[in-house]
Amino acid sequence: MSYEVMVGNKATAVGCKLARVRVAAVFPITPQTTITEYLSEIHASGELPGFEFVNAEGELSSQVIVQAATAVGARSFTCTSGPGLLYMHHPMQETASKRLPLVMAVVHRGVKSMQPDHSDLMSQQWQGWLHIYVENAQEILDTTVMAYKIAEDKRIRLPVAIGYDGYVLSYTAEPVEIPAQEEVDKFLPPYKPMPSILPDQVDPKTFGAGWGEGDPMKPWQMHHEAALNGETVIKEVFAEWGEKFGRTYGNGMIEPYRVEGADCVITAMGTIAGTATAAIDKLWADGKKIGLVKIRSFLPFPRKDFQEIAKSVGAIGVFDRSCQPGMWGPVYHQMRSTLYDEDKKVPIIGFIGGLSGKEVRVGDMYKIGEKTLKVAKGGKPEAPIQWV
Amino acid sequence: MHGRGGQGAVTASRIIATAAYEEGKYSQAIPMYGTERRGAPLTAYVRIDDRRVRERELVHNPDISLCFDPLISLQQAVANDLKPHGQVLLNVPFSPEKSELAGNINIATVDATSIALETLGRPITNTALLGAFSKATGVVKIESVEKAIKKYFPGRLGDMNIAAVRKSYEKVSPWVPAKNKVAPKMQVDLNVGGYGTLKDVSSWRVFYPVVDEEKCIGCKTCWIFCPEAALEWKENNKPAMIDRACKGCGVCANECPVKAIEMKRVEGA
Repeated sequence: MSYEVMVGNKATAVGCKLARVRVAAVFPITPQTTITEYLSEIHASGELPGFEFVNAEGELSSQVIVQAATAVGARSFTCTSGPGLLYMHHPMQETASKRLPLVMAVVHRGVKSMQPDHSDLMSQQWQGWLHIYVENAQEILDTTVMAYKIAEDKRIRLPVAIGYDGYVLSYTAEPVEIPAQEEVDKFLPPYKPMPSILPDQVDPKTFGAGWGEGDPMKPWQMHHEAALNGETVIKEVFAEWGEKFGRTYGNGMIEPYRVEGADCVITAMGTIAGTATAAIDKLWADGKKIGLVKIRSFLPFPRKDFQEIAKSVGAIGVFDRSCQPGMWGPVYHQMRSTLYDEDKKVPIIGFIGGLSGKEVRVGDMYKIGEKTLKVAKGGKPEAPIQWV
Repeated sequence: MHGRGGQGAVTASRIIATAAYEEGKYSQAIPMYGTERRGAPLTAYVRIDDRRVRERELVHNPDISLCFDPLISLQQAVANDLKPHGQVLLNVPFSPEKSELAGNINIATVDATSIALETLGRPITNTALLGAFSKATGVVKIESVEKAIKKYFPGRLGDMNIAAVRKSYEKVSPWVPAKNKVAPKMQVDLNVGGYGTLKDVSSWRVFYPVVDEEKCIGCKTCWIFCPEAALEWKENNKPAMIDRACKGCGVCANECPVKAIEMKRVEGA
């Protein structure tokens, strides 16, 4: 093990190196650009044997190139931000439908501004990928390696997107422990190309072609079940990482902070969850018992975990860093759907903030905690969903 | 940390973060990006803690303010919002008693520009302030700073930068309480977040465009190429600089087909 003070984007590139990625096809876009620079340095140095680095002519191509590479058995990586992700929309759906287990970093950049919010990755909810949101550079490195193990698990076989905020994380330097390559090799076995998921297909194999005479809905059901398996597989992989490397992030799906004995909880994703921990400490110091649940996996949504948490808290305040105009925040909707059938009704209030890079401060999260606590104690919220 | 693009403030923030981690502390270095260019004011932030830093808002109430640029060192903005008895370390060629910065703060000074010119031959002042930072604040040891510098600048460049660190470690002044307690009302905003067109970027300019209306043929090439929409079109069909919006990049002068725009040096810059 060694360490380096590095920026979030470098942690991604080092994670790719540790995972022994064979093909990276990328097109630069702020704030993702420096990942492509670090990857090209790794390629030029020759320190990663057999590594192919492709300068794609756009995001649509970069996604198609890594698709093909993954299909023939090369562990592959790509990355993008904001509008670049939107340009990738069409092939992303194919990657998931073809059940190709690649990993992509999405360095958040809003769709209305160059500054970060989660509107880019949230706009890709229907593409059939797993979505993991991370908070700091160490978590980026660790999750990049783990994401391959999750994606390549036979119960999953789906691409994984890792989302993290541009600028405040992509360009922020912090100490990162780099696990030894031998240890990572023991954790993550080499990737082998997978046979078609269709049971009746023999050689030559095709990917994404017609489904023959069977039920046309079958691939949808299999895809959906595989995504739901994420809840089990993500927990297994994160537990194994914790045992081997001594670092844990809750159970992988969620990372609770001071939830035990709390009267209510607030939720947040990505860097804002980090900032929220400071607010939680202040709230407890002021005698206000409020916990934080950092949501790491948005797809699949940690349904079982929140159904369990809901049993012991009086209210849940959900923070969304994106807004679907006309429908409010996606995390808010997931949370309400998750808890709708529970016997105990827990009030859920929504907060929308940090859009187009607006800074979310410790004081903002403190107020959200207070407002949620008021509802937990029987008060009425000013509005079911509020702008921060 | 306040500096200008090209002075190495972002690298300095990473060197401090690395030096702190060398001493067993956790750290975080956040750069603040706007529409940056060489010479534009920029800000970077460092946090040091005994445990992993998870908070990620910018540092709004610092304990210490570092200033890498002699002109920015004169701006009250670098001393605002400090915690009571906060420390401000300035790169200026005069003693802290002469600083006009106001507040319940302590000031120390070092002539980092001269040190950088002597040791590096260029006015890149980041490492020439870090030695002073180590000595004056005691936040990190000079040995840790030197170790961190070797990671960022291997070989001869590292040695030159370490020479700058050692020199500023010797030369930094003691802390002196600010003589002015009340800050002036008129202040320049150093916040460069967001787009240049929305902000007053007049303080970025080292050069500004002057139009020779005799030569100008009114073709609007300068107006089309200006990246910040900082030229207005006058009734006589000639361009004029919008003071608030021009960052002094010189694209207009470069693109003018009849060379009717001259970039003139701003007095004192």
